Amino acid sequence: MNNKIKKPKIVWLQAITCNGNTHSLLSANANRLKLFLDSFDLVYHPSLTTDTLLNDLLIEKNEIDFLLVEGAITSNKDFFQISDQGINEALKKLVLKSKYLIAIGSCASYGGVHQKFEQNDDICGLTDALDETDISYLTHPIINLTGCPVHPEWIFQTLFSLKEYKKVPLDEKGRPKEIYSYLAHHGCTRNEYFEWKVEAKSFGLKEGCLFYEQGCRGPMTHSNCNKILWNDVNTKTRAGMPCIGCTEFDFPRNNMLETKKNIGIPDEVPLGVTKRAYLSLAGVAKTFKIDRLNEKIIK
Amino acid sequence: MKTVDIVERIEGEAKLICQWDKEKISDVKIQFLNFRGFEFILKDKPILDALVYTPRICGICGQAHLKATVEAIEDIYKNHNEELTLTNKAKLLREIGLNIEIIDSHIKWFYMFIMPDIVKFSNNSLEEYSALKGKKWLEASSIASETIKSLAVIAGQWPHTSYMVPGGVVSDPTLLDLVTMQNYMDQAIRFYENSLIGTNLDTYLSFNKSEDLYKVKGDLKDFITISFENGFEKIGKSYNRHLVLGDSLSFEKGKISRKLTKNIDYENIEEFTTNSFDIDKSKVSKEAYTWSKTALYANSFYETGPLSRAVVQNRSFVSDIHKHYNDSMFTRVLARMDELGFLLSKTKELIQQININEESFIKPKVSLKDFHYGIGQSSVEACRGSLYHDVEIENGIISKYDVITPTVWNLGPGIDNKLSTSQKAIVGIDSLEKAKLILRSFDVCSVCTTH
Repeated sequence: MNNKIKKPKIVWLQAITCNGNTHSLLSANANRLKLFLDSFDLVYHPSLTTDTLLNDLLIEKNEIDFLLVEGAITSNKDFFQISDQGINEALKKLVLKSKYLIAIGSCASYGGVHQKFEQNDDICGLTDALDETDISYLTHPIINLTGCPVHPEWIFQTLFSLKEYKKVPLDEKGRPKEIYSYLAHHGCTRNEYFEWKVEAKSFGLKEGCLFYEQGCRGPMTHSNCNKILWNDVNTKTRAGMPCIGCTEFDFPRNNMLETKKNIGIPDEVPLGVTKRAYLSLAGVAKTFKIDRLNEKIIK
Repeated sequence: MKTVDIVERIEGEAKLICQWDKEKISDVKIQFLNFRGFEFILKDKPILDALVYTPRICGICGQAHLKATVEAIEDIYKNHNEELTLTNKAKLLREIGLNIEIIDSHIKWFYMFIMPDIVKFSNNSLEEYSALKGKKWLEASSIASETIKSLAVIAGQWPHTSYMVPGGVVSDPTLLDLVTMQNYMDQAIRFYENSLIGTNLDTYLSFNKSEDLYKVKGDLKDFITISFENGFEKIGKSYNRHLVLGDSLSFEKGKISRKLTKNIDYENIEEFTTNSFDIDKSKVSKEAYTWSKTALYANSFYETGPLSRAVVQNRSFVSDIHKHYNDSMFTRVLARMDELGFLLSKTKELIQQININEESFIKPKVSLKDFHYGIGQSSVEACRGSLYHDVEIENGIISKYDVITPTVWNLGPGIDNKLSTSQKAIVGIDSLEKAKLILRSFDVCSVCTTH
């Protein structure tokens, strides 16, 4: 290995979190994780490294290439302290030394599950926690890698892209377009059932679409889960669990495991389709009684 | 003299405030200063949404929280004389999922969270264990990510899935799926044999007395050697009282104070906030110093976790080591790695028991919304010990949700001049480094402790 080339420096900061994104990263494909560790210099992670402490980072003047933040931010020191200070103070100090700021997961992006703790009313994501002055030295807009948790591959792809091309195109919610232009629906093994409007009769089946009864948000959730697969092998919807829309701004919603309906019709229809068009289409599709789709896959 | 130290790498951080007397720790306070308020978050939410929320209490033991939630909900049905029927397949798929999560956590904990610190006490330079770079660290992270794939096969992903629902599980694995899961388990078993214990798993599982420690090879031998060189078998001792609340095909419930009893009554569980902060500041006592609460069983502190499970279940190798060294730091760490071997073998056996022709899910006949009022309780064994959920609903909406995590049992504050389990294990120690290691021998999870 050529040691003369300086590896980009990464700092992973933890705010209000369950550590799910950390464990998602640690469960990444081993070769990818190794390449990542070889290509970047992960100088600080509160769960992992042994050489650097957060306090050292806060004091020293050295620049950070990538500041990765896991968890939601609060200014309330009563509820959250890290190394004797509020997380927003620590965050602001580190952002001023950083080139790129990346929100790891839905909590860091928009507040996520932790924002539901209403007794602390200023829990928010990075964008809302920082003002113009705080982010004035960043060379790129804040990147939101949403997901509860985030897929490790999304982290790798974003970091390697930035290393190579210095920027990634973002959508209006600050998420990399190449990841979040897809819908969770794309690549789902239940898609054929969706096309022909064959609903899953219940949980616990390989057959049927989870959109009609079980609350699946696959057709309206931006993510490429079914394109890159989780843990290299599966996804929630393939396994039989409805997509709960964990990459979206409004996660978590209420009644996530059931489909809200109006006179038997799903209240929300797939993204970009009018309700009327959807109903006509569904009506036509349902007239096709395809035996194959109403039987067990493996007989 | 007083020292204040921040302990990292415990899934968050804790502050260790030690009072010293004649170069020994005479008093210790363990502060957890972060609070996320899950019990408040859950209030007023539809009960089934708890299946999505509670796994997010913790990124490491999310499946334990999921299982606790689903069983607490099923307890609500039971309390209404509407007990749900679960197929054996559904029960197995739940337990297998939870076991795989524990297996993954134990591998990560040993190699990523504790060995890089333990080897600092070695006379030899063991750079292979160094975090992020060392060969052993990388090997462990690789096998952990392979192992967790077997859970993703039935759960869709890990972390954070809600594949267990009242009435069963959402997935319907094929025969090939089960074989795939077996394959991942076999890979983990090979790692356990080749790297961790340096011997055949069956041979290891036949060890039944403490002298067999000398037969252990591999990385666990490094741990054993360093422990005896530094007297880890003499430190970290607490009350030697053990509690296992969860009952399963893999573990038996019970408690040991002076003697073993298999009788466990949830009525004996109590939680106190005397030394804890309150979100209502006017209620905070002068003594409050942490967000963790105090959990007692029958008015006493109990340790919970792999050591407790091994002695309650009387697994012979750990039980005999325990007879010699009690609840020392050495026994505690060793028990965790012993449990890894036990669970690998057990989980493989459970996968073999699945009959794919059974249903995965039987739909409940009644909706939870139809119950004007309902209560349910559950307990499962998570990686770090007994996890307890207690829920109350009104018309399908959560009116109260109480969670006691394993780390609250082990690391909550003492009360009424009684030291807590971990406090007692630390008092009397002559070095801050050792105190921190003892603290971490409980496999601390800061996020769980303060949920």
